[in-house]
Amino acid sequence: MTLSHFSAVLLCSLFVSVVFGITMRAEPKMMIRFGAYCFVCFVGAVIVASWVMYAIKH
Amino acid sequence: MAADAQQISQRIPGEKSSLPAIVLVAGWLIPGLGHLMLGKWVRALLLFISIAGMFLIGLGLQGKIYQPGTGDILDILGFAAQLGLGLLCGLAHWVGWGASSAVNTLADFGTKFIVIGGLLNYMAAVDAHSLANGRKASL
Repeated sequence: MTLSHFSAVLLCSLFVSVVFGITMRAEPKMMIRFGAYCFVCFVGAVIVASWVMYAIKH
Repeated sequence: MAADAQQISQRIPGEKSSLPAIVLVAGWLIPGLGHLMLGKWVRALLLFISIAGMFLIGLGLQGKIYQPGTGDILDILGFAAQLGLGLLCGLAHWVGWGASSAVNTLADFGTKFIVIGGLLNYMAAVDAHSLANGRKASL
């Protein structure tokens, strides 16, 4: 099995966000919102960190 | 099952019952089973898919299964985290799944997937326990 770094990030973020959403909120609607928020934060942080590393190298 | 869930949602916090402990152990042994016992089958299914998915992807990437008793503090921490997978961790040790060391970057990713899966299952089991004892609202 092979995954690109980005697809690994997407899968990990998706699964972690699902568990965070279910465990951190009590109401189903808030679970979905918090899960989506976590997913966007995870992926956004990775993209920002990637560009920072690119900028440092170049 | 729905009647049980209704009864659980009306449980008084702090009330003596063995159900929360049983739900905690069940949720640890099999991801999502604690929520399933409480009638939350959608959450149980999502938790099972997420945690078992992390475990299977980790194995697919040749992630390392930590062994107890090596004496290395990082190995002990890794083992404690992977122990959160319950029966999946026991099965991996018994059948011999996973690698004994992470040999490349993808295998290192795989190791992290398995470790994170174990930590997520601890969270899920504690969440089921909180639902069972009334500390968390059951909506």
